[in-house]
Amino acid sequence: MLAVPSIILIALISIYPFVYAAGQSVRDGTLISAGSFVGLDNYAAILSSPDFWHAARFTVVFTVVGVFGSWAIGMGLALLLRTRVPASGLFKVLLMLPWIVPIVVSSTAWNWLVATPESPIPLLFKTLGWGQPLFLADPTLAAITVCLFKVWVSFPFMMLMTSSALASVDGSVYEAANMDGASRWQQFRDITLPLIARSTYISWILMTIFCVNDFPTIYLLTGGGPVQATTSLVVLAYQAVFQNFQVGQGVAIAFLMTLVLVIVSVVLYRQIRKSEIE
Amino acid sequence: MTTVSSRRAGLSLPVPSKQQRVSRGPERGKWLRFTLLVAITAVVLIPVFVTVVLAFLPTTGGSAPTLENFVNVLSTSLVGQWMSNSLQVTLVTVIVSVAVAAPAGYVLSRGRNRLVSGYSLLLFVIQSLPVITSVIPLYILFANVGLVDSLLGLSIVYVGSTMSVATWMMAAYFDSIPASLEEAAWIDGCSVFGGFLKIVLRNSLPGILSTAIFSFLIAWNDYLIAIVFLKSDSVFTLPLGLQSFFQQNTTDWGSVMAVSVLMMLPPIVIFALLNRFFSVGGIGGSLAGR
Repeated sequence: MLAVPSIILIALISIYPFVYAAGQSVRDGTLISAGSFVGLDNYAAILSSPDFWHAARFTVVFTVVGVFGSWAIGMGLALLLRTRVPASGLFKVLLMLPWIVPIVVSSTAWNWLVATPESPIPLLFKTLGWGQPLFLADPTLAAITVCLFKVWVSFPFMMLMTSSALASVDGSVYEAANMDGASRWQQFRDITLPLIARSTYISWILMTIFCVNDFPTIYLLTGGGPVQATTSLVVLAYQAVFQNFQVGQGVAIAFLMTLVLVIVSVVLYRQIRKSEIE
Repeated sequence: MTTVSSRRAGLSLPVPSKQQRVSRGPERGKWLRFTLLVAITAVVLIPVFVTVVLAFLPTTGGSAPTLENFVNVLSTSLVGQWMSNSLQVTLVTVIVSVAVAAPAGYVLSRGRNRLVSGYSLLLFVIQSLPVITSVIPLYILFANVGLVDSLLGLSIVYVGSTMSVATWMMAAYFDSIPASLEEAAWIDGCSVFGGFLKIVLRNSLPGILSTAIFSFLIAWNDYLIAIVFLKSDSVFTLPLGLQSFFQQNTTDWGSVMAVSVLMMLPPIVIFALLNRFFSVGGIGGSLAGR
């Protein structure tokens, strides 16, 4: 009974739209009219479009870099902050800022730092004699910049997750390992990592979901450009619906993406629960 | 479950235990790590730093800090209106989201049957649905009932999109409250709902604050839902306002950064004050534990 309000909300905000979207994906509707039934035409059009595959590839790259980049940095910082260091409480708050500051604000600042040839970072590169790179105008560099931006935004979350997990590890196991002469690296690899494995898997799953579904990080920094170089599937779906008014195709893109994501999530979710029972 | 200890920890890690201190090397290592952290933090915070500096730098030249840009944007643009819109939407989202997620989290925490595990899986699946899929049908639905271009409509979508994580966070906290407490109340003739309200909820302030901070960040920082649902600049929330302001004033960085500072201040202040309550560790636990 106590869950009823939440279930009603979920049904209205999440389930109804999802079912409706499934219906829209087989129609040629616009934002105002439902359109007529076109079968799997939208899916066929998408699957044969190079833009779709390009966006799918970028989404995978963006997600892999986002998940493991932010994990590596977050893990490193969590380990560093776990040791005895002056003012560690202050560092913890300061290092959370990239995650706390609204993306609209941080993307504006990044823009100021890298966007034009006269921005500080390109000028710095020029001074160092590394040319004057156009971070947001060159397709490859733009993709790298967006991925870096995502890592910058996300590492605090990973740091928080890892810190929580590390806090539950009993310190006495390290003492035993020290006596046995295990090196720091061995201790990390053979004790720390396995002990926080479950939490690590969960943080990977969550971050995968965050990355695949991410819109503002990409859209606000590059708008998906230059020439679609940083268009992810979500950005492509957004453009299809709100810029080209092809609701059917846009929804079909999002729907395909969702289907893959949900399957991956459910499989991984069961995997965690299995490892839990052992 | 290991989460009982981990959720409490959150950001504020416990002081390493005695055994660890012994193994953590001499004083020199401590200051080495400190220097390393200072360097990393400095690099990481460059974007935040330039935002603040540009906001206080006079546009007319000179280097003495000034409030000129702030006075300027507040008097000549809709920034004040946008702030008030954002505050309204965020406040409604935080209150409703906690009020709805708390009882649902209680069910998740105490329930042990198939229905509850199904509910748990449902929360997980909808969390992985991209916002973009639900936004389009909701836009059409809301257009029919006049909720497009309205702050109320926007708040409803925000509450919906906080539901999964908010419920997990509440459930994770409730797990740390022994069930024997409310069972004792039931024996004294208290109803299930009464026990939840009077016993469990009264002891859950940290869990409630954690959920509130999360909902606050979702509503205050959102861009995608706002750009779809809001059309006229009088109902813009700050992210949309800043974006439109940025596009109109690409060369006036002082004003743009002044709006940016106004926008990032509330989340930073709230987080700085309440960070010891904020924990995402519990999410993992309640996600995997059921």
